Amino acid sequence: MHDADIKACEEVIKMATEAAESKWEIKVPDKPLKDKLYFENLKSVVIDTEICSRCLTCAAVCPGGIIVVGDKVDFPDYETKCLDCGACVRVCPRFVYEPLSGMGSSTAFIAGRSKRFAGQDGAMVTELIVSAMEMGIIDRGLFAGRNENWETEMFHVRDPEQLAITTLSGTKYTFADVLPELKKAVKFTKNGVGVVGTPCIVSGVRKLQQEYPIFREKVKLVVGLFCTENFHYSAISQYLRDKGVDFSKLVKTDITMGKFIATMTDSEVKFKVKALEEILPSGCNVCCDFTAVEADVSVGSVGSVPGYSTISVREAIAVKILDYIKEQGYAEFGEGDPGQLGFLVGHKKKRAENLKK
Amino acid sequence: MKKVTVQDQGLVEKTKCHAAAIGVAMKESVYPLTATVQYPRQRKKMPDNFRGYILFDPDKCINCWECAFICPANAIRMKEAPNKKYYPTIDYGKCIFCHFCIDSCTDSALRTTKIHDVAYKDMDEMVTLTEEMIEPPEIVREDTKLVEYQIDDKDLQITKTREVDNLFVDEVPPSVEIPVVSQCIDGASCIGCHVCEYVCGSGAISSSIANGVMNMAIDTDNCTGCGLCVKECTMQILKLVRK
Repeated sequence: MHDADIKACEEVIKMATEAAESKWEIKVPDKPLKDKLYFENLKSVVIDTEICSRCLTCAAVCPGGIIVVGDKVDFPDYETKCLDCGACVRVCPRFVYEPLSGMGSSTAFIAGRSKRFAGQDGAMVTELIVSAMEMGIIDRGLFAGRNENWETEMFHVRDPEQLAITTLSGTKYTFADVLPELKKAVKFTKNGVGVVGTPCIVSGVRKLQQEYPIFREKVKLVVGLFCTENFHYSAISQYLRDKGVDFSKLVKTDITMGKFIATMTDSEVKFKVKALEEILPSGCNVCCDFTAVEADVSVGSVGSVPGYSTISVREAIAVKILDYIKEQGYAEFGEGDPGQLGFLVGHKKKRAENLKK
Repeated sequence: MKKVTVQDQGLVEKTKCHAAAIGVAMKESVYPLTATVQYPRQRKKMPDNFRGYILFDPDKCINCWECAFICPANAIRMKEAPNKKYYPTIDYGKCIFCHFCIDSCTDSALRTTKIHDVAYKDMDEMVTLTEEMIEPPEIVREDTKLVEYQIDDKDLQITKTREVDNLFVDEVPPSVEIPVVSQCIDGASCIGCHVCEYVCGSGAISSSIANGVMNMAIDTDNCTGCGLCVKECTMQILKLVRK
């Protein structure tokens, strides 16, 4: 028998045996504002009060795909176009907001440096995702790349060779549309998806997993990034242009020792990070999570010697992947120092006061 | 060196061969055999489902857009009809006559004809609107003979009959497949967006809200198994299952 025929037969058998039901129930979420559409509720509770983190969980789950992804989350003509399903309210991590902070359930802090990939902290993240891919835990990873204007773009990586794209490495300090892409990835994946994100994105993923089993099943690895704040593309690009940064020559952006450094092919622009406070998004202003508390494993530069990244290990899956990396000798490891993290964790915890205001 | 000589066939054999040759020549002069068709006076007989002009039946259309999605030449555009449904229009300037649209049509609203020659005055006229697809086009027929080619083990046989072929193919009933219905495989992942309910042409999907719980139900008797809801479900939790 032909291979394709066997496959078709298997499909038919699968169709016949799979548990399916013709009746099912959905819990309808509560509305704080009665007689209003769900999106109007979300708008009044999260967007208008300026605590929206722009994690785009709502845009990812919106069945019509009508929630617009811009600098701000918006939904033009929601009065006529909203299907009023309540999915956005169900998954929004900030609809009922209990700020997370601290280190989470970290079991170990390790300093690591990837031998295979070059770059900033992203190299260690890439190492984790690629190793998970080699182990067969996941079959695709979601990475944030950039275009020539330093706008973020999402890439689905299914083969380590794809990582040769240089625009994938390097920190961008700009919001990326991770979650809408995650939904697409979940649609096409067979084994599972690995996703990288800032604490707000990690919260969004966890909320999706909590509400919908399909995400619990398909999203296998969540890697968090240490994050103090992130910026809207339009705001930071304008700010950097004013400072004299030419985007066509820009090679790398970095924050070290309280200074923002934009390295270009022929020169460097440096200024204090504090100066960026004027363009700080309102959502970041109320975020207390520095280490991506809910992630399986978090990575960042703080807390280890230059060149190394701190890895905060939380879940068993992360331990398994790190053991594999050690076994294969893909990375060098050292001791991490969680003490250094304390300052930034404390710094972000203070932002809880902003929430009360 | 070896000398090759022609074998002598004998007088009787030679006479036979000559007589046969003269016979063929006589036959050809009276009833000449031509392999070509004298178009438009004659028409070549094609198999019943040889791909031709496409007809459309709006009553059977379930608005699934499958024809427009599958068209490799992008010849099919969906246009809104007065009854708020979207029906296909075909641009014959682009159509490559692959008939993927007919093959993909779930409820056989599209069907073929034996019309393979329609002339247009300009490119704009080649865009065939839905109204023009319901009835077959008016064509002037000049053919009086039907030519059929048959190849048997010896030779190409051409038969010409005086009959005129009917250009319209009888409706082919959809092939008998395994009857399927749409079912939910992961009710907990349902968003509750009702998109399946909106797209269902046969009204098999229904929903009701009571005490903060939404009840969704698929009526398996009404479900035609067209798969439209399966395609549109954003969470991919509907699946076609054996009835």
